[in-house]
Amino acid sequence: MSSEQDHLKETDTEARFEFKKEERSAVKSDKGLTEEVVRLISEDKDEPEWMLERRLRALKQYQNMPMPTDWPGQPDLTELDIEEIVPYIRPDVDKREGVDDWTELPDEIKDTFDKLGIPEAEKNALSGVGAQYESEVVYQNMQEQWEEKGVIFMNMDRAVQEHPEIVKEHFMTTCVPPSDNKFAALHGAVWSGGSFVYVPEGVTVNMPVQAYFRMNSEGMGQFEHTLIVAEEGSEVHYIEGCSAPKYGTHNLHSGGVEVFVGEDAHVQYSTVQNWSKNTFNLNTKRAIVEANGTMEWVSGSMGSKATMLYPCSILKGRGATDTHITIAFAGEGQDIDTGAKVYHNAPETSSTIESKSISKDGGRTNYRGLVHIADGAENSSTAVECDALMFDNESTSDTMPYMEIEESKVDVAHEATVGKIGDEDIFYLQSRGLDDDDAKKMIVAGFIEPITEELPIEYAVELNRLIELEMEGSLG
Amino acid sequence: MARLELNNLHAEVAEGDEKILEGVNLEVESGEIHALMGPNGSGKSTTAKVIAGHPAYEVTDGEVLLHLEEDEFGEEIEIDEDQRTWNLLDLEPNERAALGIFLGFQYPAEIDGVTMTNFLRTALNAKIEEREELFEGEEGDDEDEADEGFETSPMEGPADEGEVGVAEFQEILQEKMEALDMDERFAQRYLNAGFSGGEKKQNEVLQAAILEPSIAVLDEIDSGLDIDRLQDVSAGINALRDEQGTGILQITHYQRILDYVEPDHVHVMLDGQIAKSGDASLAAELEDKGYDWVREEVYGTA
Amino acid sequence: MSTTQVHANLTDEQVREISGNLDEPEWLLETRLEALEALEELDMPDVIRTPGRDWTNLHELDFESLVDPLNAAENKDQVGPDEVDVLPWAEAVDEHEELLKEHFGSIVDPQENYLTALSTALFSTGTVVYVPEGVDAEDVTIRTEQNSRSLFNYTLVVTEESSSVTILERQSTGEEQAEQYYSGIVEIAAGENSYVQYGSLQNLSEDAYNFTVKRGVTDTYATIDWIEGNLGTQLTKTEVSTELNGDSSETQIVGAFYGHNDQHFDLDVKVWHRAEHTTADLVTRGVTDDVARSVYEGVQDVGRDAWDTSSYQRENTLMLSDESEADASPKLIINNHDTEASHSATVGQIDAEDLLYMTSRGVDPRSARNMLVEGFFVPVLEEVDVDELREDLEDLVAARLRQRT
Repeated sequence: MSSEQDHLKETDTEARFEFKKEERSAVKSDKGLTEEVVRLISEDKDEPEWMLERRLRALKQYQNMPMPTDWPGQPDLTELDIEEIVPYIRPDVDKREGVDDWTELPDEIKDTFDKLGIPEAEKNALSGVGAQYESEVVYQNMQEQWEEKGVIFMNMDRAVQEHPEIVKEHFMTTCVPPSDNKFAALHGAVWSGGSFVYVPEGVTVNMPVQAYFRMNSEGMGQFEHTLIVAEEGSEVHYIEGCSAPKYGTHNLHSGGVEVFVGEDAHVQYSTVQNWSKNTFNLNTKRAIVEANGTMEWVSGSMGSKATMLYPCSILKGRGATDTHITIAFAGEGQDIDTGAKVYHNAPETSSTIESKSISKDGGRTNYRGLVHIADGAENSSTAVECDALMFDNESTSDTMPYMEIEESKVDVAHEATVGKIGDEDIFYLQSRGLDDDDAKKMIVAGFIEPITEELPIEYAVELNRLIELEMEGSLG
Repeated sequence: MARLELNNLHAEVAEGDEKILEGVNLEVESGEIHALMGPNGSGKSTTAKVIAGHPAYEVTDGEVLLHLEEDEFGEEIEIDEDQRTWNLLDLEPNERAALGIFLGFQYPAEIDGVTMTNFLRTALNAKIEEREELFEGEEGDDEDEADEGFETSPMEGPADEGEVGVAEFQEILQEKMEALDMDERFAQRYLNAGFSGGEKKQNEVLQAAILEPSIAVLDEIDSGLDIDRLQDVSAGINALRDEQGTGILQITHYQRILDYVEPDHVHVMLDGQIAKSGDASLAAELEDKGYDWVREEVYGTA
Repeated sequence: MSTTQVHANLTDEQVREISGNLDEPEWLLETRLEALEALEELDMPDVIRTPGRDWTNLHELDFESLVDPLNAAENKDQVGPDEVDVLPWAEAVDEHEELLKEHFGSIVDPQENYLTALSTALFSTGTVVYVPEGVDAEDVTIRTEQNSRSLFNYTLVVTEESSSVTILERQSTGEEQAEQYYSGIVEIAAGENSYVQYGSLQNLSEDAYNFTVKRGVTDTYATIDWIEGNLGTQLTKTEVSTELNGDSSETQIVGAFYGHNDQHFDLDVKVWHRAEHTTADLVTRGVTDDVARSVYEGVQDVGRDAWDTSSYQRENTLMLSDESEADASPKLIINNHDTEASHSATVGQIDAEDLLYMTSRGVDPRSARNMLVEGFFVPVLEEVDVDELREDLEDLVAARLRQRT
């Protein structure tokens, strides 16, 4: 057993997420979304003019777009008042752009990430780590061997300064333009922090890089932006973890993720989201995949009050491949509306979507997915499988797939099932000596196993622990 | 030594009032092999399920007792005098399992995503822990357990939780599987998922071998088996009896398996009761004459 | 929403005239007038939208030129065995006013959307099928041949306890015009332990537009089986649905469609499980050819109190041409965990291996293809109990295939 696992065992899992630190900020914006706030953010970051312009343009688009309210069965966003959200809090740290030594961080921030197990994970299983606290990345480090190979892993704010060409080309332009949706526009106006990952041609980063996002302050919004550019034939696995303590008022997380998967490149993007249950989690994540490239989205959504997240792959080049693996767990008061979008825009592209959801104690899960096969995307195939487990009749489990098929030389299959845990299955396990609770836990662990199998072991363990906690109803 | 005793057992389907068992009397002791035969719908499978505590059946009369001797569970667990007889009907299915009752299912559940290894080791440890609770009144340390979670791969289950660790368990499993002539890849497959009918039955016997029950009730363990597997399964059942002293209640339609697992006692069930009991020769006689012969002999009508 | 509205052309007087011609009582006229008045407020029926795309665009329809309320013309057969009342609307108004009062508009709300309201205000023809307690009736036939620019049709089926009825409905076009509009509403109230099989074959002119809602409600132990065949029209927007309101009630909805040329079919299949021990089985198969487009939405909605629900849905589309499009959205809305629900949908083309296998046995490619398409429909045709309907569907499919080069 590794030292990290020892460490994990020593700390109570619940306490690891549910602790609050006194707010100590260097700069804190006003509530709400005004031009003034946007200018303050840009100025505090000493941004070039072009980025400020993009922010202001996004702000205009945001102001002109209606809140999405007309989706069938969408989560209730009426309690989300953006005018009450504080979009920018820069924590009080000595060095901007993040230190590369945990001990240089203020005690309360270091302690936060220690409790979350990040420094330990870095030692054991990761190529690089970034850690964001409120609006700012406070720690950033990558093993030297990757730097030598030209891999860039830095916080997004710094990338704006140091790699303007790449950022200018890719930042909210072709992949996720602010006009995409209201929250993408919001994000474009007030984004802060996040990761920039650049992997040069032919380089395989063999251990994952990880970013951890922590919201500590009440009523804040976190808007980190992640941009990944994987050049031809390269390979990288990016992991993000998210958490926040619970407050009485609402927090908002609205991240933006853009991934450029070059020819023959392979990117895996894994998320284990455990936002507190007062958080609205409304993200836009999208990848553009060139010929024979592969994009894999792995998402575990455990936390938040409401989540709307549909990672999207645009399969642009011939032979591009997409894989989605999604697990959602909704307990009391949670509405997890998540799924996948895939656009097959080239021949011989393929996608596989596997979704598992569990709803319990009045929670609601929804799989919402879109598969579009464009005319001319010959010999493409897609297979979607959604399975849902329900614990009680207070809960809701919906499945809403959309298939748009404009090409005839295709293979399109969608399957979905919804059901409860089988009484016979429970009896079988009980007859072998497991008590009722353990039998249910084992069945749930088995149900999500296809997902955990895809995650690095630390994350699989984490996901299982979170679900076990949820099943005991002891979290949140 | 252990003894399972069914007294005047009456049961019906929990939802509805269809009577299925109408006064079953039966005793099975450690080391004995009993065959329970009878036509479809006579109540054989229901008897098995009621013994194990299936929630779909309601017992309306009678009792199911398990008598244990002091050393039933070895030296580590001391069974006080007042803990030697248990009314199984008061216990949850997993508590019955901890007391040494094993049900081999006619149709074992398929549970995806749970490996055999993880499942069996969890079951083995749960049994040991439950025994401590039942006999020594030790409260299970639930809080701690919950937090330990899965420390290793969820495929393997928690590494250090429970009496039997991963390495030790692997050895036990490997040994038992060899004895049953099972492919070792079984261990990493998901519990019964995609197993053939025969593989499932073999797996039931494997589970019995690992959990070492005092009394095993095997519900049509012989159905769907080809001759090679029938012999493997039979060898497994005989080993249970010979090596672990398990008492076997074998439910079957057919004489075939009894050629390999020779019963000490044969019972014929009709209309929810044991209509006739005898030795191994009764099974042969049934094969020749059919169940109507018993009906005629017992009730005077065919 | 107001771009396509025609109410400017429609007047109270027209509605009064239609109602008067049918000798309707005051309450029916009121219902019609209220529907007319509501047009201003009502939206078009829901259509599916995804980013940047409407699956069906009803707003492009020019209702102004389509609707001609006072000149409706048709040929109609309304026949059935003696034990059952199969009545033209005016006769039903005369003989069964209480029945109509109870059921008319109770299943499909006249003001559910713009097109149901339009249909309610303007329907000039209709059929009422009343099956008394314990009566078993086969071979009720309702045939409608449209000879006018627009035709608004209404059907009500009421079955009393432990009765059964098989109804076969057909729509076709007699005198063809450049553009025609057919609108139909069908309501079925299936009484306790009764059985209704309602087969429908829509083969209107390929210049016609069609809007239809067929919806049934079940009482305890009742069964409603729908068969829905769509071949005609240039644009069809239709819903076939069952509300399972009685414990242990069941429904099956079998659909078959074949779109070619520039036909557009928007087919909704829905079931609401609202009681205990209910079962639903939705099966649709269809073909798209040329530049035709099919839009399928299937909804299985399980309510909080629908314990012990079984609900299944399958949809398969075969694309015969590369220019055609097939869109599908099978949905599960589950609010009770004591449910076994599944759905599946596939889209594909004729399997090349199958084709090769057949041609290698000497069958010419065209015949082989036709055989495979006919074979594709077999699983739904097998579900059709009414021989006549099945044979008609088979013939129409075969004829359409023969037209193809």
